[in-house]
Amino acid sequence: MADPRETRVLLDKAEDPALATLEGYKRLVGGYATLEKAYRSMEQDEILKELEDSGLRGRGGAGFSMGKKASFLPRGEMQKYLCCNADESEPGAFKDRELMQRNPHQLIEGITIAALAADAGHAFIFIRGEYDAQADILDRAVAEAYEAGYLGKNILGTHRDLELVVHRGAGAYICGEETALLDALEGKRGNPRLKPPFPAVQGLYGGPTLINNVETLSNVPRIVANGAEWFRQFGTEQSPGTKVVSISGAVRRPGNYEISLGMPLRELIYGLAGGPEAGHEVKAFYPGGSSSPVLTPAELDLPYSFEAMAEAGSMLGSGSIIVADDRVSIPHMALRTARFYHHESCGKCTPCREGTNWTVKMLERVIRGEATPMDLDIISSVQQNIMGHCLCVLGDSMAMPVSAMVNKFRDEFEEVIANAGASLGEEELLPILQGAPA
Amino acid sequence: MSEQRTVTITVDGREIEAVEGEMLHDAARKGDVEIPVFCYEPKLGDPVGACRMCLVEIEGIPKLQTSCSTPVRDGMVVHTRTEQVKHAQSAVVEFLLVNHPLDCPVCDKGGECPLQDISMGWGPGRSRVIDEKRHFQKPVELSPLVAIDRERCILCYRCVRFSQEVSEDAQLQLLERGDRTFVGTFDDRPYVGPFHGNITDICPVGALTNYTYRFRARPWDIEQAGSVCTLCPSQCNVAFTIRDEKVKRVLARDNSEVDDGWLCDRGRYGFEMFEAEERVTEPRLKGGVKTDWQAAIARAAEGLKAAGAGKVAALVGDASNEEGLLVQRLLREALDSPHIDSRRSGGAGRETIVALSQPSLTAKVRDIDGADAILVLGTDPLHSSPILDLRVRKAIRRNGAKLVVATERPTALDGGAEAIARYAPGEAAHFVGELTKALGGEETVATPLAETLKDAGKVVVLWGERIAGAAQGALLGLADALKVGETEGAGLLEIPDFANARGLREAGCLPDAGPGLSEVAAGKSAEEIRAALEAKEIEGLVLVGVDPLRDFPDTPAWTEALNAAKFIVAFSTFETATAAKADVLFPLETHAEKDGTVTHPDGRLQRVRPSAERPGDIRPGYLALSEIAEALGLETGVYSQPTAFAALTAAVPFYGAISDEMIGGQGVRWQETEAAAKAPTAGAGGTASSDALSRRVSAETAPPALSGTEGSGLLLGTYRDLWAGPITELNPPLKFLQPQQRLEISLADAEGLGLASGDTVRVGQNGSSVEAEVLVKERVPEGVCFLAEGVAPGNANALLNGGPVRVEIEKLSEVSA
Repeated sequence: MADPRETRVLLDKAEDPALATLEGYKRLVGGYATLEKAYRSMEQDEILKELEDSGLRGRGGAGFSMGKKASFLPRGEMQKYLCCNADESEPGAFKDRELMQRNPHQLIEGITIAALAADAGHAFIFIRGEYDAQADILDRAVAEAYEAGYLGKNILGTHRDLELVVHRGAGAYICGEETALLDALEGKRGNPRLKPPFPAVQGLYGGPTLINNVETLSNVPRIVANGAEWFRQFGTEQSPGTKVVSISGAVRRPGNYEISLGMPLRELIYGLAGGPEAGHEVKAFYPGGSSSPVLTPAELDLPYSFEAMAEAGSMLGSGSIIVADDRVSIPHMALRTARFYHHESCGKCTPCREGTNWTVKMLERVIRGEATPMDLDIISSVQQNIMGHCLCVLGDSMAMPVSAMVNKFRDEFEEVIANAGASLGEEELLPILQGAPA
Repeated sequence: MSEQRTVTITVDGREIEAVEGEMLHDAARKGDVEIPVFCYEPKLGDPVGACRMCLVEIEGIPKLQTSCSTPVRDGMVVHTRTEQVKHAQSAVVEFLLVNHPLDCPVCDKGGECPLQDISMGWGPGRSRVIDEKRHFQKPVELSPLVAIDRERCILCYRCVRFSQEVSEDAQLQLLERGDRTFVGTFDDRPYVGPFHGNITDICPVGALTNYTYRFRARPWDIEQAGSVCTLCPSQCNVAFTIRDEKVKRVLARDNSEVDDGWLCDRGRYGFEMFEAEERVTEPRLKGGVKTDWQAAIARAAEGLKAAGAGKVAALVGDASNEEGLLVQRLLREALDSPHIDSRRSGGAGRETIVALSQPSLTAKVRDIDGADAILVLGTDPLHSSPILDLRVRKAIRRNGAKLVVATERPTALDGGAEAIARYAPGEAAHFVGELTKALGGEETVATPLAETLKDAGKVVVLWGERIAGAAQGALLGLADALKVGETEGAGLLEIPDFANARGLREAGCLPDAGPGLSEVAAGKSAEEIRAALEAKEIEGLVLVGVDPLRDFPDTPAWTEALNAAKFIVAFSTFETATAAKADVLFPLETHAEKDGTVTHPDGRLQRVRPSAERPGDIRPGYLALSEIAEALGLETGVYSQPTAFAALTAAVPFYGAISDEMIGGQGVRWQETEAAAKAPTAGAGGTASSDALSRRVSAETAPPALSGTEGSGLLLGTYRDLWAGPITELNPPLKFLQPQQRLEISLADAEGLGLASGDTVRVGQNGSSVEAEVLVKERVPEGVCFLAEGVAPGNANALLNGGPVRVEIEKLSEVSA
């Protein structure tokens, strides 16, 4: 059951399994009425304006205005594409999975309307291969939508066409980066492309392409149905709307919570998610997925919004909060984080490829006690050298949290160096050493 | 193409004029501001921005930008040496060295390594890395010619992009991910491709090295000597790496008008044959008896004189313009004999050649880049002028040119073609006629091709000399129909059989044209010379850089002819069957030793410069020819390269404005000099326009289709394999590529004859036969089969006799299952 502190819009009626069917979607939430309205009576510019006025910001991580992005696509006769990024791979993020699993038609309806706004004739849902069950659900839902005439040729007799394909990724984190996603979709090695040209100008198969996250697109039907003003009643001035937040880690009730943006973090972590187990306190938390610089309890009373998180030197990102309590070793958390990005770095650009690898090696030395405090300076400096110098944001995704951890918890790192071996049990040390590259 | 606008940008305080849209890195370089790069190489296509070395600060943009991928805008203000930039660049160098072994003292690249240079210039100067670096087995064979050291690799993936976007073989791939990434091939198979050596040129570290050069020299031991490769008509610009007066390596020398900075593996790895045992290194008399120059020249003069006035003929192949000029003077002036040819399989008369060589009809190599459509006609550039294969691919890939192929045999470019036509061997002229008609709106077999070509705009036609014999005249009609004469950037570009074919023709090595394609009393063509030798009408023969017994059609007849000749003077680089028949044999220089000019098929005069020491007692060819002429009483005035070149420019009016300085390092097209107007025009008296002529010629020469049903057996088509000849037979590094004779046959014919790939067969025609291995190929048309020329054993020239031939195929043994 929904917590009364939640504001359920996207997850409205989500507890009813029937919502995943076309019939249920129509019956329970009046689904596809917006599609009919948009296709029958709205112009492209009208939809664009509504989306832009709503202030809907991308829910995939960057938080860029969705309407603005859609308006960047050139006009005119050409093949344009819409890609839904369902490659939710950021550690800590699992909101898209729930949205697709519980309400696939909401996403499909969003895609059809966004395609109208972008004048795209082909749409793809690029879903990570690990989301096998969700991809099956989408496949079924897409088939239903085709059957019902909401997809395919001559939608609702309006002479508009839209083909929608569910494409399963092969499991690389980098394919969630929009340009790498395009390469992977084209059948190439999933490596990020140089920007510019941005996908809106030259994307999939060289055509203008609108790429949006699952949650962003899921927001579209209601915005177009109810108007920008309705949407703006939720959230803050700069972060309008509701947001599905994934909370995990050291909390008693991990899970997805849909809130009106701007809710204080304390209410999210301690209220909705129940906070750490009794007797323990929050030590640090990632406010926006594992790539966001960690915050400390001092920042727990900030409102959870794009602007407040940015002001605090971090980011809201995909809206995934990972909580670490006082039992967690921050140096180990740093190493775990760095290892993830090292493992997922595509290797195309130098700072990310070498920086993630070097950082992991240094952190391993820290944990083995084979480091000096000077190495912590080098680690910090290497993170600075990565940031802003890479082809895509993967490098920064490691540099930002690692840098924040070393700077905010330097004492703990120095302590680990000094007490290495002593502070660690054999069972903890072994996996770390075995995991190190030979 | 839209007009290019000049803009002004400011880099480090200096104003630089740049072309709008060009990349900042390139623009900055014009202002002498060097921005370091590793991955950026415009020849490879669009920038990828991967190495991050070229980060710079641009006012108005908060983040540093990669200058390799930032197009310049007017008024852009750029800083490349601020603290922020220095910090970023130094950081990137440090990152690159995290996993680089720094084994410079034992690395072949040491001393000429961009990573070294940039580390010194932009790096932090000391290392903070104490962690273990990544390890790979090293070096491993990427191919029999290239070693890969994956520890040294900095993953700029230039080599991978070359393989995928330039040579388009897609064999090189990045495998694995992140810092585990390495360059390799599928399943570790060797990287095989005729251009793969280029990856060693573009590698900015010592990761890719040539086995032919590993540990042979260090940069301070060597000198680089710029010259031109004359192993094929592409005439790519090369730089020889010379140590102890010997060639140790061949590098591409970028000339976008000729080779685009690429070099094929023939040109790159073909240099070890300069030292072959079989090299002729001094003058010899019959039976291989070594002699001195004075005696040889006296003997040659004496023998030719004895053959009698008017009874000497000359065939010229691999020779410089100056050598060509002197051979024809020797013949026409000293021996009063007009029988000289520089074509192996005939060709049209002077009038047609003059018409075809009009500047307005000639395409230059660069025109391929901008062509709207390209017609490849009767040639496979990969085999006959490899570097143009890359150029055509580039035109298609980058500029959207449409390709149309019309050949006997499937070509390497078929995959990228919009339309393909296969005509039967011998039908080239007929086909060109049909294509011309189709362009005029008639429905013919060539209509699918015409659909792409008509109204295409700029059309460049690459045509092979091998169709010249029959179709040269028809080409004029085609040129007319395609309006190449009136279209800027359109034209015909010949791919001749010999590297310097155009230069030799313009120097006067044609039976009916003298220097400058002037009108002269007609002599005999190669084919007629052969017949005249057999008939004893011609008794003396001068062979310069030709090997009729290998390269000319109808080997049995040429054997007869050479046996019948009373006196043969041959100039040859290697001991060949032909050279063995010479009464006096002179050594020829290779293009690493020669001093002289050559003319590219597009009219570009280039200079071959002596780079290496001549082995043994070899002297310049022009000197030997001049001395023979003098011994026969003709004062040539040629004693040195400058005097030889002066004689050439004096004799060829349209070369008249060209000086050695103008040729410089990149050559100059005679069509673009002020003497171009002195080129002969078509028609008697030089008055008729080429248009009028071409219409006339095309009306004459659109022969009907040959009756395809006559006789039994399969129609034989032949081609010159890229790897046939001394390049693989006498050159150890390329020996593994020596082609064996293969009978290419269609699926249907193979079935009919009960043949399978791998079977051994005897292919016979009129008493001659060769053995070959069967290769069933899907793309071979039914009723036709193909054999390679110039391969040993089993040279297809043994079966040819001037016209289309049919062959009988007899199975000798079956491939074991």
